[in-house]
Amino acid sequence: MKYAYYLSCINESLTKELDRSLECWKNDLGIVLVKLEAGTCCGGSNFDFVNPDLCLVNNARNIALAEQLDLDLVTSCNTCLLGIRHAKTILDGSEEKRKYVNRYLEKESLEYKGTSEVKHLLWVLNEDYGLDRLAEKVVKPLTGLKLAPFYGCHILRPSALMGVDNPNAPKSLDLLLETLGAETVEYKSKNRCCGFHTLLVAEEQSLDICGGAVQDGIDSGADFIVTPCPLCHTSLDSYQKKALSKQNRNDSIPILHLSQVVGLALGYSSKELGIDRHIVSESVLQ
Amino acid sequence: MEEQKEIEFRLLCYNPEVDIKAYFKTFSIELEKGVTILRAINYIKDHVDPTITFRHFCQAGICGSCAMRINGVSKLACTTQVWDELENCPEEGVIVVEPMNNMDVIRDLVTDMDPVMDKLKEYHCWVEPNTEDSKLGVKETSVSPEEFETIEFATDCILCAACYSECSMCTVNDQYISPLVMLRAYRMNKDTRDSAAEERTKILVKDNGAWDCTHCYKCVEHCVMNIPIMTAIMGVRKEALDRGLVKSEGARHAMAFNDDIYSHGRLREVTLPIRTLGVKKTIAMAPFALKMASKNRVPPLFPKPTSEQKNVKKMFKQYEQEKISEKKGNP
Repeated sequence: MKYAYYLSCINESLTKELDRSLECWKNDLGIVLVKLEAGTCCGGSNFDFVNPDLCLVNNARNIALAEQLDLDLVTSCNTCLLGIRHAKTILDGSEEKRKYVNRYLEKESLEYKGTSEVKHLLWVLNEDYGLDRLAEKVVKPLTGLKLAPFYGCHILRPSALMGVDNPNAPKSLDLLLETLGAETVEYKSKNRCCGFHTLLVAEEQSLDICGGAVQDGIDSGADFIVTPCPLCHTSLDSYQKKALSKQNRNDSIPILHLSQVVGLALGYSSKELGIDRHIVSESVLQ
Repeated sequence: MEEQKEIEFRLLCYNPEVDIKAYFKTFSIELEKGVTILRAINYIKDHVDPTITFRHFCQAGICGSCAMRINGVSKLACTTQVWDELENCPEEGVIVVEPMNNMDVIRDLVTDMDPVMDKLKEYHCWVEPNTEDSKLGVKETSVSPEEFETIEFATDCILCAACYSECSMCTVNDQYISPLVMLRAYRMNKDTRDSAAEERTKILVKDNGAWDCTHCYKCVEHCVMNIPIMTAIMGVRKEALDRGLVKSEGARHAMAFNDDIYSHGRLREVTLPIRTLGVKKTIAMAPFALKMASKNRVPPLFPKPTSEQKNVKKMFKQYEQEKISEKKGNP
């Protein structure tokens, strides 16, 4: 299995451990990820309105880079998934738009054809690789661990663009975690917002959104929260202390990346998976 | 599934004059397939408990009065089928009905819509005609089908406030503008008969306004009319940038993406706070930055451009040149 791996900005800076943990185990599953070094930022759901036409060209280019390799594009960030899928949906539905972007791409000998799918790593594991096959590869089942799946917004909504999970009752991450041997908990915040996108411009309110989700995760009795999105991870982990202190709480819960939790079940250590880099990590490292 | 069965309804009830807090009343009723949630709770009111209070009117998904949370999700009771909801029950066979979120409860399922209406006024959500008062009514003010096209989706809004109830930011900030009001404001800004877009946009980008949307897409997901509300929210933000309202933190943050994709291809996170917040607020972030640095969670100080950045720059330049030519009338 081979994919074009889209490099998300945040994994090149704040959450480097995500790609590092993926690097650890991809050979175990035989999933080859070809890094799209020439790819550019998806626009972070901001470029979309700053310059909608150029944003479309930019993401058409990202997809065209994967098409050039004859591979589907896979991302490990929800917001990148949304931005790039949004572009794909527009382009696949309009010949006029395809012609428009290709006028730009031809200068780089690229062409948007619509032949590559745009997927999240979670979907690749669940659908392309398959949970039965994954179960066979588990060497250190996460038995006894209670995990709270936190999906994040842009892998669920708008569902018209995503179409994998029911955004009101998502299951894909739950099923994956159960395949790895863990028990999953039901809690209200599993499909809610983490507040990341307004952390700089409306910090107080964003911390309240984040704090609500983290509290809910702790109160569900989970040992860890697991998220398939590095932006959610940053909000829930790096801002956790600040967010919980606003709610007058001084407890904590570690937040794991999807790639790390898979790595743990495949037998890698917390350190190899970069869990020691998290702001909240003590109880995982013990 | 059976065509007729007994179904349990749990309705969240609250009378602020009597009750200390809201509580569930449970009703088991025999229903036939094809019945809506509104018909079911009307049946309960007519035959079992006349005190149950809720708003409803058209019973056809047009008036927007019967929005409530059904199995945790804001919907219109009149267009929601009981049999469909049986698939969404957290507890099998039990349909939970609650009032909308983010609003005070007046009684049972009736919420106070006044704050919503106040915000519609605050943000001037009506057409300010560009015709002089003396000439109003003298000459027809028409909108062509082409002109209407840009706002058509926004005119579908029936003010049910399901988006308001679901909005992540409304939950933590009752002063937040809300998706509903932004959709309305966008619609007025783009109306060719309107003359107040400049003033309205200035109000829209103040604190608690358009830049505070956290992009959770819950409004889009739960709009009962399937309106792509984010298109309007992003439209309001674009209008602010186009009108030169670029000094707010939100505007500076958004423009950083444009600048960084041009210069490096990727976001330069190391300088993002200072570019968004300015020097003073960035210095205040020092303790947080140190904590991040202690775990090596720091963006590269001198990020490298992507491997083909020269091509990306050419792409941007081609776009600029085409825009200039378009303006000169030589596409």
